[in-house]
Amino acid sequence: MAINILVRFNPARPKAGEEVRVQIVAQHPMEPGTRRDSSGKLIPADHITEVNVTMDGQLIAQVKPGPGTSANPLFAFKMKATKAGQLKVTCKDLNGQTGERTADLTLA
Amino acid sequence: MDRRKFLKASAGAVAGAVLASQLTSALAQGGLEGEDIANLEKGLQQTLGKSFKDLTPSQQVKLVAPTIAESGANVPVEIEASLPADQVKAIHCFCDKNANPLLFSVVLNGVLPYYATRVRVAESAPVRAVVETKDGKFLLASQAVRVTVGGCG
Repeated sequence: MAINILVRFNPARPKAGEEVRVQIVAQHPMEPGTRRDSSGKLIPADHITEVNVTMDGQLIAQVKPGPGTSANPLFAFKMKATKAGQLKVTCKDLNGQTGERTADLTLA
Repeated sequence: MDRRKFLKASAGAVAGAVLASQLTSALAQGGLEGEDIANLEKGLQQTLGKSFKDLTPSQQVKLVAPTIAESGANVPVEIEASLPADQVKAIHCFCDKNANPLLFSVVLNGVLPYYATRVRVAESAPVRAVVETKDGKFLLASQAVRVTVGGCG
């Protein structure tokens, strides 16, 4: 099952040169590998290890979350909206599952 | 000594002792609650190859985290550096008492030096933001977070 990713820009349609906050949420349980289930067995670790954010094909940020990141994690960045473009987010978890989402940034 | 006097005296002594122990422990920890440099050092060496004293505490790094978090499983953390965007290489975040002290690291390239996320905090301990600059400096900001329910177990 692919990881579902949501991307939102705030403000949604920034003016040229304005600061825009990019909010990325991945729907993932992010098991740290230290929790136990009801029968006392350790739940194996399963968390996102890599998130790549590219803008028009150029890598702008790379996140490496450890096991200490919450379930359904939020990753938020700020950037200057200089031109419209396509933002692409890809992520990968410990079990080899991947997720991908593209979002278009449009200027007002 | 009658009972009343005894109670008064002992209550005072106990209160004094508790206060003294709190004071001394606070001083030993350098002010932040739940500090665990030994554990932190492990994570720092692993990810940065640096020790705690190589980091420079800086006012240029702003770390926003709650002082008291209800659930350690979901603590919002916001890191902002008042440096030019092209000087910041990466942002790392550590928590002293987590089994794995590294919470996350982010490599920034062309975005503003800002990052927000939600992290797990195992027990009351300081959260530390380390901003790595292009010229090889490591700037540190710390904030003690007290959690009522741990987030890693």
